[in-house]
Amino acid sequence: MHKERVVITGLGTVNALAKNIVDFTHALKSGLCGIGPVTLFDTTDFRTHSGAEVNNFKPQDLIPSQFSLKRMSRADLMVFAAAIEALSDARLFPFPDALCEDTGVVLGAGSGGKLEGESFYRDYIETEGRNARFSMLASVCPAASADHITTHLGLMGPKTTFMTACSSGATAIGFARDLIERRAATVVIAGGVEPLCRTTYASFNVLQAVDPEYCKPFDRNRRGLSLGEAAAVVVLESLNHAKERGVPIHGEVLGYGISCDAYHMTTPDSEASGAARCIQAAMADAGISAAAVDYINAHGTATPANDAMETRAVKKVFGPHAYRIPISSTKSMTGHTLGASGALEAIVSVLSITHDFIPPTIHLHDPDPECDLDYVSTSARESAPHIVLSNSFAFGGNNTALILGRFTEKGIQNE
Amino acid sequence: MNSPSPITLTASSGFKGSRDQGMEKNLMSRRVVVTGIGMVTPLGIGKERFAQALFRGESGIKEIAAFDTSSFPSHLGGEIREFSARDFISAKYLRRMDRLSQIAVASSRLALEDAKIVVNTANRDHIGIILGTAFGPTDLKVHCARILFTEGPMMINPILVPNSVMNAPAGHASIELGFRGVNTTVNHQAASGETAIVYAAMEIQRGAADIILAGGADILSEFFFETLVRFKAISPVNGGKEGARPFDTHRNGPVAGEGCGIVCLEVLEHARERGVIPYCEIAGWGMSSSPASPTDWPADAKGISLAMVRALNSAHCAPDVIEMIQAASNGGKNPDRIESDACLHLFGSETAVPLVSSLKGATGESFSSGGVRAASLALSLREGMVPPTLGLVDPIVQLPFVTGEARKIDIRNGLLNAFSYGGTNVSIVMRKIEQG
Repeated sequence: MHKERVVITGLGTVNALAKNIVDFTHALKSGLCGIGPVTLFDTTDFRTHSGAEVNNFKPQDLIPSQFSLKRMSRADLMVFAAAIEALSDARLFPFPDALCEDTGVVLGAGSGGKLEGESFYRDYIETEGRNARFSMLASVCPAASADHITTHLGLMGPKTTFMTACSSGATAIGFARDLIERRAATVVIAGGVEPLCRTTYASFNVLQAVDPEYCKPFDRNRRGLSLGEAAAVVVLESLNHAKERGVPIHGEVLGYGISCDAYHMTTPDSEASGAARCIQAAMADAGISAAAVDYINAHGTATPANDAMETRAVKKVFGPHAYRIPISSTKSMTGHTLGASGALEAIVSVLSITHDFIPPTIHLHDPDPECDLDYVSTSARESAPHIVLSNSFAFGGNNTALILGRFTEKGIQNE
Repeated sequence: MNSPSPITLTASSGFKGSRDQGMEKNLMSRRVVVTGIGMVTPLGIGKERFAQALFRGESGIKEIAAFDTSSFPSHLGGEIREFSARDFISAKYLRRMDRLSQIAVASSRLALEDAKIVVNTANRDHIGIILGTAFGPTDLKVHCARILFTEGPMMINPILVPNSVMNAPAGHASIELGFRGVNTTVNHQAASGETAIVYAAMEIQRGAADIILAGGADILSEFFFETLVRFKAISPVNGGKEGARPFDTHRNGPVAGEGCGIVCLEVLEHARERGVIPYCEIAGWGMSSSPASPTDWPADAKGISLAMVRALNSAHCAPDVIEMIQAASNGGKNPDRIESDACLHLFGSETAVPLVSSLKGATGESFSSGGVRAASLALSLREGMVPPTLGLVDPIVQLPFVTGEARKIDIRNGLLNAFSYGGTNVSIVMRKIEQG
């Protein structure tokens, strides 16, 4: 039994820059910033007040009226809207009945329905439990998002949700690849979702990890991340299936790797061992050499520790070639979307391949001497990457690296 | 009864031409076995105590001791008792961990010890953990919300933040025990633990790790108990006598439980090289979804049956070679009916219907119970014993349920079922392996 090659045939997103892929591509090329004042909740008592919020999110404009949106959280709605876009892009909407049994959903998540859950908690605490409606907790579980997608579309394939903070979305795509590769599914709707909420915003604030202005990845004056929210969904399917359907192929999932720092819960290992090992595992899985990588979408959170560590990891893995690879942190535009970021940046990586450009690291004006690689500052660069590495490093020391490739008949890694 | 041959799928030449051919071959031929068990459960701490209680038919369900239940209609729980975190975790790390992480780290340590694995610089990058949790640190969530809404957002203690993410237990385990390989956390309702086991087996098969600790952990906090009561999710739903009665006509909801079970999964050749006798093999698995809103059970058994059929196909076995089922049923009105329907549908026409047992009559429903139940099935395969379904007196259907006391029977193939509200189904075939 040979392994199925796994290709990407659909993309969909809702994020602070755009509510569809066309606008998102334009924003990435133009180097737009999605970071601004947070309005979803009152930030008066917080240390910082900015974030990459999805403004004017109207789910009814993005989701066909045949679906009931009752009991769906903001996270559920964002990712369902992104899924509809991705399926439409893959020419799988309306979803064909014949494919339902063999189509799965794998998501990475973070806060899930916590924004709505907070309203419950407030009532519960203020009234000492008397006036709280526990039914409000029904949509609080992060797993609910995937349940809604399978239920709305009648899908009966494998389903699960990963919760590894900032690497959840990347791991979801890796696991989805595995399911198709070994024929446990023909099509998988994979991605990630993260809503802004008070709890997450407070957590990063008390850790002093948030830049009060906007994040400045790899800059000497970086002071932390900008929290964001997003949903990002890709449709993955076996190459044979995509060919049978005759649909355009946006790219191929070539490989991925997971590792753990086993160092500290919130501080990355300054030796960059874990980060380097997951990149190496992904390259071995993809069957590529270091010289084959021609763009790195960095984790690039703009915390002092991450950016220095990530630079070290890239040098460790790529040696002298590290200086020749364009690298960017698109979190400078989208904010750090935590559970969604791995999937959102996989989409950015695919768009860089399909639209022949390297998106910029905006707000990078004064490079940190410790961060001395080619970070493509300020504006996008024309280029035609064939193989892209996307890094995701999370709290808990959970690292995932994804390798995405331009689709060619022979396999881009063999050309 | 014909014994099925182990999975020996042949490696193809592969169209990923430049790919490491060794790895290509490994993906399809590496067999995954259980070599260690680590338990922190209502039936006891450690494998020996757990196995003893399991096969003697002891119950871990008692009046809840950790908090006052007098204002609730439910008072029973499957609590972890006599657990001393200090016995398993260094003082340096212990104070940084919440209880959920403590039970996960302790179980992980026990599983490594049982598998006779010493983590060192030579093997640490090839050892990992994949953990499932259905609800994570429920007590911490409500605590943080309390600070947020009473004292203000900037008054949350930063030391609590790392524990508030669901991947904290696996992160703590890696730091405390020193392994740096594959590490991830699955959070999908009551199928979290079983999905973690499936993923761990997949990662070992494709060569991403040699050893992965896999299982699930959830804790029973007062707030979570109250939530279950308010959702009418635990016995006695709509009155009656409180208690866990899987598959019983008079069942009225599960009893809430907690616990962590970890199985150490390892590639077979590796275990043999080390001279360790595996409990059993993870022979195959199936996953599926059923339409259901996130807090409701599916209407029918179609999805559940699909997961079971996929598991059997993946393990290359016919239904009639399955000798026992470690069932997911917990005494809930709907799940027990659906699972028994699925079993009747799949096995009803067979000459040999497998013995059916549910552990949740003894432990309660801990949601991410996959690790505990996989360990239970592994012990059944090794000992040739099917544990009784406690609380089952008057079965809802005619299936060969094991009740009262454990049944001695040689088991070569067992099926582990996991079904969740929200429509998530996982089934795993576990198989005794030939020695040598």
